[in-house]
Amino acid sequence: MVAGLVLSLQACAGPQKPPEDLLSPSEAQMKLRSFQTRTFDVKDSNTALRGVVAALQDLGFIIERANAPMGLVTAGKFAGEGFSGFVEVTVIVRNTGTNQTEVRINALFNKKPIDDPKVYQNFFATLERSLFVTH
Amino acid sequence: MPRGLLTVMAGLLLSGCVQTATPASFFELSPDSARNKALQTRLFETTNEKELLSASAAVLQDLGFQIEESDVGVGMLRAAKERSARQAGQEILQGLILALGLLGQQVILMPVDLHQQIGAVLATHRDEQAPTRFMVRILFYRTVWKGDGESGRQYIPPGQQWMEVINDQDIYRQFFAKLSKGLFLEAQQI
Repeated sequence: MVAGLVLSLQACAGPQKPPEDLLSPSEAQMKLRSFQTRTFDVKDSNTALRGVVAALQDLGFIIERANAPMGLVTAGKFAGEGFSGFVEVTVIVRNTGTNQTEVRINALFNKKPIDDPKVYQNFFATLERSLFVTH
Repeated sequence: MPRGLLTVMAGLLLSGCVQTATPASFFELSPDSARNKALQTRLFETTNEKELLSASAAVLQDLGFQIEESDVGVGMLRAAKERSARQAGQEILQGLILALGLLGQQVILMPVDLHQQIGAVLATHRDEQAPTRFMVRILFYRTVWKGDGESGRQYIPPGQQWMEVINDQDIYRQFFAKLSKGLFLEAQQI
């Protein structure tokens, strides 16, 4: 009962101030961003976006949704031991204005951001194949 | 991957020493990827992508699917169909009970409470080698969840999800046959 009173009084103290750096990228995030982004010699961002969709399909991903004007695609798949883990990705494609396209991918594994650069390297290697190899 | 290695990795994961053990492989093409692509893809002699998508949506609807997402700019469709897994589970269970009953074994009935959804994701791509053709690639998959029971040979703990890619050739052939009919075009294999 006392504990209940104390807890409720704490609630009366007002909302706590969020940390100042809540929205600032940490150093780790900045580093991660560089792994997650790559520029390709593709003039048309829609071509690149479709290449991303094809690469994701090759990798067995389920395309969740896509938005062409935004250059956005999100996808996911069950993976890992017994297919109990869940990998989800968000890819954004945009023109850099110099006849190139920038591709950025965010990958999560079981809701946690993947910070292993090898993962992103593998994705871009597959994407490159999808964009530039004729079958 | 050898079982022992997976167990070690699972152990490391639980101990919190390693954040993620194998995600790098999730973005590498598996040895099956070429075969899967052939199974899931057909070529059509058309440059009308909208018609392809439209006809594909119609086929999926005929097959009882609801279209959940679509985007013409990228050329994709995602659809889903609810399917009670309860019946399938119960049939398996009944078969099992019958078999064990014949062998004189006592069987404890385990209620099967599963929810199953069949999903389909389709994308259209221009054929790089022949600009007059478009490729249609579709993936059928099954998700089972909220179980406390069995589906096939898998035990599903409560609240868990389990997903299976459907690799049955006939399902893909059936889809492409219908699509071909709807378009009045032949579905060519890659």
